[in-house]
Amino acid sequence: MTTIRRFCCNDLLRFASVNLDHLTETFNMSFYMTYLARWPDYFHVAEGPGNRIMGYIMGKVEGQGESWHGHVTAVTVAPEYRRQQLAKKLMNLLEDISDKIDKAYFVDLFVRASNIPAIKMYEKLGYVVYRRVLRYYSGEEDGLDMRKALSRDVEKKSVIPLKRPVTPDELEYD
Amino acid sequence: MSNPLAGKFGYAGGMPERKVRPIWDAIDSRQYKNALKLSSSLLSKYPNLPYPMALKALVSERMGKSEEALSLCLEAEELLHKNVTLLMDDLTLSTLQIVFQRLGRLDLATSLYDYACVKFPNNLELMMGLFNCYVREYAYVKQQQTAIKMYKLANEERFLLWAVCSIQLQVSCGQGGEKLLGLAEGLLKKHIATHSLHEPEALMVYISVLEQQGKYGDALEVLSGTLGSLILIEVDRLRLQGRLLAKAGDNAAAAITPDDWECFLHYLGCLLEDDQNWCNGPSSEPSCPPKSVVKPSHVTDDVFYCRIEDAVGLVQKLETEAKIDPKRGPYLAYLEIHRRKHLHGKGDKEKFIDALVQYFSRFGYLACFCSDVEVFLEILHPDDKTKLLEKLGESSSSIALTPTKFLGQSISLQKLRMQIGSDYALPATELESTAERMVHMYCESLSLSKELDPQESMQGEELLSMASNILVQLYWRTGSIGYLLEAVMMLELGLNIRRFVSQYKILLLHLYSYFGALPVACEWYRTLDVKNILLETVSHQILPQMLTSPLWEDLDDLLRDYLKFMDDYLRESADLTFLAYRHRNYSKVIEFVQFKERLEHSNQYLAARLESAILRLKEKADSIDEEERVLNGLKCGTQVLELASETSCKSLTFNEDLQLRPWWTPTPIKNFLSGKNATSLKLSEKQDYRKDWETNARQTAQRRSLLPRMIYLSIQCVSASIKDNIEANGSMSDAKFLLEMESLLECYAQLFGFSLNDALKVLLDVAEGKNSLEAFGSDMIDWVNLAVFVNAWSLGSHEPMLQFIDGWHMVNALVTKCVEQEARKTDPLLYSPRGHVPVLVQLISEPVAWHSLVLQSCVRASLPLGKKKKKSGLADGSNSSLSQAVRDSILSLCGTVEMVAEWLKEEVNRTEDEALDQLLLFLAGGQSEGPGRICQIIKDFVSNAKEGELGDCIFQAIKSWSPTDVARKMIRGQRRMISDFLQICSSKLKLLEGLKQQI
Repeated sequence: MTTIRRFCCNDLLRFASVNLDHLTETFNMSFYMTYLARWPDYFHVAEGPGNRIMGYIMGKVEGQGESWHGHVTAVTVAPEYRRQQLAKKLMNLLEDISDKIDKAYFVDLFVRASNIPAIKMYEKLGYVVYRRVLRYYSGEEDGLDMRKALSRDVEKKSVIPLKRPVTPDELEYD
Repeated sequence: MSNPLAGKFGYAGGMPERKVRPIWDAIDSRQYKNALKLSSSLLSKYPNLPYPMALKALVSERMGKSEEALSLCLEAEELLHKNVTLLMDDLTLSTLQIVFQRLGRLDLATSLYDYACVKFPNNLELMMGLFNCYVREYAYVKQQQTAIKMYKLANEERFLLWAVCSIQLQVSCGQGGEKLLGLAEGLLKKHIATHSLHEPEALMVYISVLEQQGKYGDALEVLSGTLGSLILIEVDRLRLQGRLLAKAGDNAAAAITPDDWECFLHYLGCLLEDDQNWCNGPSSEPSCPPKSVVKPSHVTDDVFYCRIEDAVGLVQKLETEAKIDPKRGPYLAYLEIHRRKHLHGKGDKEKFIDALVQYFSRFGYLACFCSDVEVFLEILHPDDKTKLLEKLGESSSSIALTPTKFLGQSISLQKLRMQIGSDYALPATELESTAERMVHMYCESLSLSKELDPQESMQGEELLSMASNILVQLYWRTGSIGYLLEAVMMLELGLNIRRFVSQYKILLLHLYSYFGALPVACEWYRTLDVKNILLETVSHQILPQMLTSPLWEDLDDLLRDYLKFMDDYLRESADLTFLAYRHRNYSKVIEFVQFKERLEHSNQYLAARLESAILRLKEKADSIDEEERVLNGLKCGTQVLELASETSCKSLTFNEDLQLRPWWTPTPIKNFLSGKNATSLKLSEKQDYRKDWETNARQTAQRRSLLPRMIYLSIQCVSASIKDNIEANGSMSDAKFLLEMESLLECYAQLFGFSLNDALKVLLDVAEGKNSLEAFGSDMIDWVNLAVFVNAWSLGSHEPMLQFIDGWHMVNALVTKCVEQEARKTDPLLYSPRGHVPVLVQLISEPVAWHSLVLQSCVRASLPLGKKKKKSGLADGSNSSLSQAVRDSILSLCGTVEMVAEWLKEEVNRTEDEALDQLLLFLAGGQSEGPGRICQIIKDFVSNAKEGELGDCIFQAIKSWSPTDVARKMIRGQRRMISDFLQICSSKLKLLEGLKQQI
């Protein structure tokens, strides 16, 4: 019984314990605030009893035609609250909003090719590697573009893996 | 579009788009030289069009040519005014707006748009531009008026909401009274009657307008009506409903609870009518639940029990639903019900404890167990807590668990012991063996993490932080430095194994700071990658230590990074607010503006601006000419003075996340280890420390804000008084300086709680030895600063209170006394933790520096202009007594600084190996008790470790751990501090020698 609610500015002042984690990026202010200003329904925080921030998810919805999709920009859980399926709950929420409210075709996300624990988790949640993006992270590490089809994509066309890797400048959205 | 050309396809600002595009491309790719070339040639082709002017201005501004940019903009503006019907278009205006904004001339942009809107009263695009201008200026009333005009023109929902937001902002952040909300409500109602509402966000704003007026019933009605379906996320709607019901005091709300903690609390609050909504909510500070309730008189015991039964029933239902996938929720809900019963005086202690034990047996293995139960433990009596711990101990041994879960549970139990404080009561030997057990457990559990990815957190990671907390506790009690060293060694090992554990890093950085090895502390701090908003919440871990250190360059970097972040954010904030308007996320508009106000009033932002000004003054204090340049840049100190006016200090916000600090330094101004030892101190409520720190921060800001101006005035007073004596014609402005100085000194003294007269008495008593330095309390530096400024003032002032004061003698005596006292404390150990080096650093870099400026000013004023010969000015007739005083003071200061420098040289000259031997001696032992045991345990473990059991990664990591290397690193850090400090002293000495020669 946590509280999952919209993320708000004041949460930025309370998420240090989550963001000091080395795999969680702390973006600049205009990044967070652009997400809040444009896609507030895609930015949620989980709070536990005692008002501690357990984790959060931020994302957006974008694209045209059949590539209209939800995107997970970041999802993170504080070390204290790991191994309780909180990330799953947050992901499901975002998928639900993409599916039911925005009627998107799929949800996608990028992950470092070396981040095996995360890749495994996404796979468990039903994501497949759609394509590899060469040197996506700071021009060094490859990224994996993972996708999960939503109900509108009846034939699951959006998740048929590409045969060949792409370069970052071939990406449609970022 | 008003511009006839712009209306045609392919035209921008009156010219073909293909001509403009390359300029924008060049700007976007930061090829400004090229952009300038292109825009200049475009302008030469179209010399009478404002758009190419605006473009060229934009490029010029980016290239740093502000004046040129401004004059181009003004020229374009003039053209627009001349031929408004032909030339005015939104593209031109918005380009000019960008340049004006970057030049800090929002007013010009606004008046331009204002003019355009008057000329084209029906142009929505221009009106949006004008609205945007007012958003940037935070001019809520004007925003409202503009939005209303747009609403009347277009009748669109969004413009109405823009107006409503502007009204709400007037109420929450501006001067507007709450009456205005009625107006907003009326506007909305009228619109709904004819057009209804279509955006979920519009509904949320409508409800918040009602809520702000206390019209909860009306809000509930709207929410449950057709409009309610606009909110698509079910939980959000229920939570909102719950909040409104709770506020309305409606206890019939029982039925609505999904699996949501906040909803559940609202539900209980409604049910029991006890106003216990301790959930945080998005806008308020994290709060502690109140420890008492006001029991409504009409709720009889029977009713109460009946309602409690309802709540229990509901939770049971949730529990059954969650059977397949057991979650913490229902069990926490039971605990909360027990807590409420207790608060109502109907609690059953035994049952409550049993419920806690049950929770432990289910979820004790989770890392969040202790934070989950923290609020519930608060209502237990200390004896009950002890009982609980016993029961938990029994239960933990009775459950069969997997090794990982067993480890987790053991950690939770131990952590709870520390949280409850029962360990603080243990004798040192037992405490020590607890720490030993933890380290053993850590070593043994390493093999459980063998298969984990190196980026994942380890099993049992927390054991090392817990053990190090105990070691610090042991140091605090016994004063044995060895314990602290062991903590350092142990945490370094932990970071060898897992490089990313931020908890270890924070502990280490405080330990290294305490050891006076700040450069090493900084290194660890840097690896935390504190940036962007974390600068606001995490900098307090290192900044306070840096402010009193000689590492000026590093301090400068820290302050610069932080200020850049804040300034950038404050600059962009309004644009982001407008983005929220544009995307119709109205609730975010209010949130953004409130957040901007919160950060703008941050105490750390204020302190950083004050300290970076003072740092520049410290750095240049050895040359009065350079110092004056710095002062000029600070508007003679008035700029800093204005920053910390009393009203702004009252509205300061405190955004630091203190929870991450180690137990021994709960706030930046409190460190148990620097105080007296454990027996004379009690750990009191965290809240008290927080309050002390906030009060202290306000006072410090006020005091520090006076410094630059007082330094400036000191220099003026001194030179005026000497000119007076020489030329016998004191000017009016000199008198004004004296008066202002007096009033600032009075303020300064008042911040100690004294009148200036009384403060002077204290200073004199201490200087003459009638009172000890203890009289200054913890504000020694500030008192000596006061003495320095009083002396400077006294040279020109004829105030009766100064009649019997020899300011020079007072300053000399105080500086010598303070330095002697601090140096004595510090002598002779480099490895004495912390020591009093920070105080010495401050003495030399502040009062000594300011006084040396007074001396420089004396010498300079007495020299004839342009000449620097030896015999003149001060040495002449009437000035001989002053000259003597200045000479004495220079000699006295020289002697004092030399004493410090000598001591520092001794430390620097000690060989590293010598220091190393001494340091490691603290760990020698490994006897049955006392420091050294834990290090020994780790050493034994490392030497017996087998690669097969631990895996290659962990095995290599522990093999690379070397206590000697760690100790060397620490010594090098200490030495860098000492040598930087020595440099500051040497520079002062050189200056003083030079002054000696001139006089």
